[in-house]
Amino acid sequence: MEKAKINGWQLFVLIILFELGTAIVINPGLSAEKDAWLAVLFGLIIGVIFFLVYYVLYRFYPECTLIGYSKEILGKYAGFMAGVLYFIYFLYIGVRDLRDFGELLTASTYNYTPLFIINAIMILTVAFVLHYGIEVLARTGEIFFLLLILVGAIGTTMVFVSGEMDFSQLLPVLENGWGPVLSTVPLTYTFPFGEMIVFTMLLPYLNRPQLGIRAAWPAMGLSGMLLIWVVIMDITILGVYIAARSTFPMLAAIGLVDITGLFQRLDVAVVMTLMIGGFFKIAIFFYAALISAAELFKVPNYKKLIIPFSIVILISSMAVASSSVDHNSEGLDMVTYYISLPVQMGIPIILLITALIRRRLSPR
Amino acid sequence: MNFWDRCRNKLKKLNRTENPSPEKEVKVLEKKLEENLIKIKDELGDSSDLVIRYFELGTESPAAAAVVYISGLVDDKKANKFIEESLKVEDPLKEAAYSQKDMFDIVRDRALSINNIVMVSDWNKLLLTILNGETVILLDGYNEAITANTKGGQTREITEPSTQLVIRGPKVAFTESIGTNVALIRRYIKSPNLRVETQQVGSITKTDTALVYIKGTVNEKVLREVKKRLNKIEVEDIIESGNIEEYIQDNAFTPFPTIYNSERPDAVVGNLLEGRIAVIVDGTPFVLVVPALFIQFFQSPSDYYQNYLIGSFLRMLRIISYIISILTPSLYIALTTFHPQMIPTSLLISLAAQHEGVPFPVIVEVLIMEFTFEIIREAGLRMPRAVGQAVSIVGALVLGQAAVQAGIVSPTTIIVVAFTGIASFATPSYNIAVAPRLLRFLMMILAGGFGLYGVFVALFILIAHLTSLRSFGIPYLSPFAPFIPADFKDTIIRRPLWSLDSRPRLVSQQNNKRQARGNKPSPSDNHNGN
Repeated sequence: MEKAKINGWQLFVLIILFELGTAIVINPGLSAEKDAWLAVLFGLIIGVIFFLVYYVLYRFYPECTLIGYSKEILGKYAGFMAGVLYFIYFLYIGVRDLRDFGELLTASTYNYTPLFIINAIMILTVAFVLHYGIEVLARTGEIFFLLLILVGAIGTTMVFVSGEMDFSQLLPVLENGWGPVLSTVPLTYTFPFGEMIVFTMLLPYLNRPQLGIRAAWPAMGLSGMLLIWVVIMDITILGVYIAARSTFPMLAAIGLVDITGLFQRLDVAVVMTLMIGGFFKIAIFFYAALISAAELFKVPNYKKLIIPFSIVILISSMAVASSSVDHNSEGLDMVTYYISLPVQMGIPIILLITALIRRRLSPR
Repeated sequence: MNFWDRCRNKLKKLNRTENPSPEKEVKVLEKKLEENLIKIKDELGDSSDLVIRYFELGTESPAAAAVVYISGLVDDKKANKFIEESLKVEDPLKEAAYSQKDMFDIVRDRALSINNIVMVSDWNKLLLTILNGETVILLDGYNEAITANTKGGQTREITEPSTQLVIRGPKVAFTESIGTNVALIRRYIKSPNLRVETQQVGSITKTDTALVYIKGTVNEKVLREVKKRLNKIEVEDIIESGNIEEYIQDNAFTPFPTIYNSERPDAVVGNLLEGRIAVIVDGTPFVLVVPALFIQFFQSPSDYYQNYLIGSFLRMLRIISYIISILTPSLYIALTTFHPQMIPTSLLISLAAQHEGVPFPVIVEVLIMEFTFEIIREAGLRMPRAVGQAVSIVGALVLGQAAVQAGIVSPTTIIVVAFTGIASFATPSYNIAVAPRLLRFLMMILAGGFGLYGVFVALFILIAHLTSLRSFGIPYLSPFAPFIPADFKDTIIRRPLWSLDSRPRLVSQQNNKRQARGNKPSPSDNHNGN
């Protein structure tokens, strides 16, 4: 681990940038159609509750990352195996996010640029920033957070002023009963709220441990609210049928805003949001993969791993799926149920229960 | 990075083994006057400006004495008075016999009465004092010399500053003389806590360097760091404060200055009062101030002398124009080449119409014009003043208008380039205003290759680089990153003086309170009723 400290505000900012990340553009809740906002809300609630599990584990072992305490809790071999699993998970999700980002960019504005070039530039930038360390990443986050807030505020105001929104689109609530909502919740939980598992790698850098929950809960709450707001915006502007079927509902929705011919084509704001969010999401997963590998395989300086890992992530991002459709369907079914849920919920619960039993058994 | 460090260490080791530092043996003066004088002449190569004057003290059995100084460096009046008063006595020998006193003591006492003197017996030190512009008295039979500070000679008058101009504020600038500069600062701060520590840097130039700070307000950690870095400098020559700057800055590979400089005493004094440290270098009017934050370079002293609303507005204007000077050309390239759908339709049509006859893509157009602009700018700066105007006429009229008429560039490109150029002049500090000139080209190339995505990538790299910088341990982008809301009082906006009640938290870590509460002006109660 590098000797660095981040403060509560920086954690707050990083969580918001991470959560909004790519989720703000591809809103996962939309398969619940009109009740997408409910699905996101439930996902948020479960995510907030589950963060408590990660936080309790962190407070049991305030010096350790997830890799460190899974070894402490499960023992040398099982712990190592769990560590490797998480390392691969972080790397894999980083790869997926890079691919997501590239697909979004090629589909939205860069129709003629090869995916490989876009991904390569992105991973190079991420690698450059990460070689400065987590502190610089956090501080860069602070600056871009301000920019994001500015863009978000302007965009939202424009949307309101344009009068494109029609709130009756949201009614009736629960038209098809609870079924669609509940079946969407696993999706909205695992993406993006369950991905908070990656912050178990960053919590040990906090300058005051109790800030873990005090910064993370408000950050998750705020980003959840923003996601709900965006989903409502998408539905009310586009109508539920277009919103649920379009690849990037937000891009389409914002593109419709036109205020007296002066303020139009605001989709540049969406592309900006996407670039900022995508960057931080990839960077955080990349960083988590780096430090978990360094810890597992006892590499003294994780910075030596940056270049090989960049190459691995870049090439995997090209090889992970044959097409955009393939990539998305894999993300919705396979990753959600067979990877995300066990990794984000299953293993942490096992860890927590084992830790509690160990603490009960061990003589004080 | 590691590779370079290793190389540097290796070089250092090599240097050390090749020429081990000569052991400093203290050579003492001879007792015989003649020998001393010959040696001085020898060492200084019998320079023509070296003045040696002989005197004979007493009439009965005259004792030989000599005065040595360098003509251009001493103040003639001071030197003559010093010599006359201490040597031209009626008959020191008689007096010596009468008072049973040593002759050396008599001369010393007399010298002491008109000037502050230092006794020197070390040979190297003696040479240094002569070269420093002091006057030396040597007496036959004594291996000690009396030296008096008669520094003087021609220096420049105090004039108005030629950089960092303000509408309202003191019209004083530092000069090339370190003594004058320290005095200028002392005139503003009449506190016993103002400390001045002088040392010499450079093995040949022996440049006087003064460290000025206010004890009790300064951040001791930073002070220690500054001293450590100044002492570490082992070079032959320091000519300007820029040389010192390059040796003591935190990160060598950056276009951004991490040390502030100013030739305005009021700006330096304001910084000292915030807990910063000034480094004054003899021979230049530009005084260094550390630690420097990014936002500091956008503050002009006049912000504090005028209405705070206007001051805040102007400050915001400067920051916006800085961002414009970095981003405009690359955004223009990105939008016209990659994202024409983001430009309002009517504007897009007129842009396309203008560009119709131009044979180059926008990126080439902008690069040509930016490069031309940089050349005109540099040429205008280096030319003699009379010719400088001709350059701007040729540049503006011939290149600008003719290029459009010849169909080489489109008029919009000229507007963009000119706008960028003007915006870059709005920054009060020259050394941060030059960074965008370099970065602009990088951003333009990325924008030409990848559109907005390229601009964003460049921004990420730029901001990550800025946040990674530190100035003597203080994060460069604070109070934005790390975010310190308490220090926002005096950054993008300047709050009214009565609410600027604390110093920047990271810069001065002790004694943060600056003024009593309740300084806000309000009409007294007497007037309220009527």
